[in-house]
Amino acid sequence: MKDVAVLGVGMQRFGMWPDRSSTDLGREAGLAALRDAGLSFRDVQAAYVGYIFAPVMSGTRTMKEFGLTGLPVQRVENASATGSAAFREACLAVASGRHDVVMALGFDKMTQMIQSSSQTTHPAWLEDAILPAAFFALWATRRMHERGTKPEHLASIAAKNWNNGALNPMSQRQPEKPVTVEKVLASRMVAWPLTTMMSCPIGDGAAAAIVGRPEIVRRLQPGRPVVRVAASELQTERYEPGHLFVGPVVGPARMTRDTSRAIYEEAGIGPRDLDLVQVHDAFAIEELEYYELLGLCAEGEAEAAIERGDFAPGGRVPVSTDGGLIARGHPGGPTGLAQIWETTLQLRGEAGRRQVKDARVGLCHMMGGGSVCIIHMLVRE
Amino acid sequence: MAGARVPVKAGYFTVPDDPAEPPRLLGSRCEDCGEHFFPRRAVCAKCLSERMADVLLGPRGTLYSYTFVHFPLFGSTRVEHIGYGVGQVDLPEGPRVQLPLAGRQEDYRVGLPVEAELEPLREEGGQEIVIIRFRPVASS
Repeated sequence: MKDVAVLGVGMQRFGMWPDRSSTDLGREAGLAALRDAGLSFRDVQAAYVGYIFAPVMSGTRTMKEFGLTGLPVQRVENASATGSAAFREACLAVASGRHDVVMALGFDKMTQMIQSSSQTTHPAWLEDAILPAAFFALWATRRMHERGTKPEHLASIAAKNWNNGALNPMSQRQPEKPVTVEKVLASRMVAWPLTTMMSCPIGDGAAAAIVGRPEIVRRLQPGRPVVRVAASELQTERYEPGHLFVGPVVGPARMTRDTSRAIYEEAGIGPRDLDLVQVHDAFAIEELEYYELLGLCAEGEAEAAIERGDFAPGGRVPVSTDGGLIARGHPGGPTGLAQIWETTLQLRGEAGRRQVKDARVGLCHMMGGGSVCIIHMLVRE
Repeated sequence: MAGARVPVKAGYFTVPDDPAEPPRLLGSRCEDCGEHFFPRRAVCAKCLSERMADVLLGPRGTLYSYTFVHFPLFGSTRVEHIGYGVGQVDLPEGPRVQLPLAGRQEDYRVGLPVEAELEPLREEGGQEIVIIRFRPVASS
């Protein structure tokens, strides 16, 4: 992708915010991103707004909070990957030459979605809507059968992400004491072998990114490293024997392999060049599988790499540095943009206590039900 | 004794008149490339042919993976169902299906031969609403 940079990022801490509307959360995240970019809303030429659960018209209505400038506003939705999809559309709008400054905004109140959906779902209708934890537990059971994975490996990933969350002021979960593997294993079982602490929480939140021409960063923020969007890929499912059509939360695992190969090719940058990675770790088993599918380690070697600490802070390639979905949270619409927030700060060297030393290349991976895989690669100039 | 048995959702499985007979899954077979699908579809996902024939799949298969759910993550309506099982089952015709499992976690292991059965869910207007699920193949 040519000549697209992240000009600014902003977010509202994910969490339970019963007294704040998604409009309030969205406005504050968007204003934070504008301040970070050093831009006025008058400079924004288009906006892509991502939400899953808010009522119809919430996109255009929320954008009116910033002022009524007549800009084109388009709602984007792709389940859990909604924020990533909004970011992608904003980048494409700049890359196409149509616009110079575009906002991607994501917000949601997952806490309200849970209340409304519980009235229309029933466990007997598993063919319609399986519990996400149960679906990914099926990945875990299979992995344990094929590779001898232990619950301790999953707990180790979860503990890492909880402890990363403690270093991130925007993380929903911020444990006061270091989380241990034992504590994760002792937490309540959700769907065997996944426990509550191996699972992401529900929550509310918002996140935003302003994307535009790289020269705008140089002009408005001299001295700040320019973070470019090197590549963006989105893929849906490809048919393969044994394909599940009814009940899966996301498609076959190979979606991540195929989409990542495409982005490595597009960017001309391979998995060995990555300095940090964010993944769709809604459940710890996902992060384990994505290590291999993204090419961060060889197939069948994820367990050994976890034991070596390859993906922990200070490791070979730190993953879920902001706490991931497991700790930072996963409200829905804003989640993919929170990954962009984290990666942008890391590449600028502004990530504080969780800074990955001399980070230059970051990858952001999201899955969305339906299903889609969306990956972005950000590179510091 | 409840009246007729009816599926919780039409279009997914048979409800045989004989209660001893296992249900079967309603699938499609592509008349051009021979691939089988569940559920029924109008266009072949593999070769894109529109020549699809209705077929019955199962009732037996092999357990690909499984879990048991212990937590009502999606709200209060799930509380009464804590402990239900979910399995992915490879059917001999090719499709993999994801459905509830009967019994307890200890009854299952990857690779186990399983068989579909109907389970009453509730009564409604004198009819018995049934779901389809898998259980271990009875050893005989």
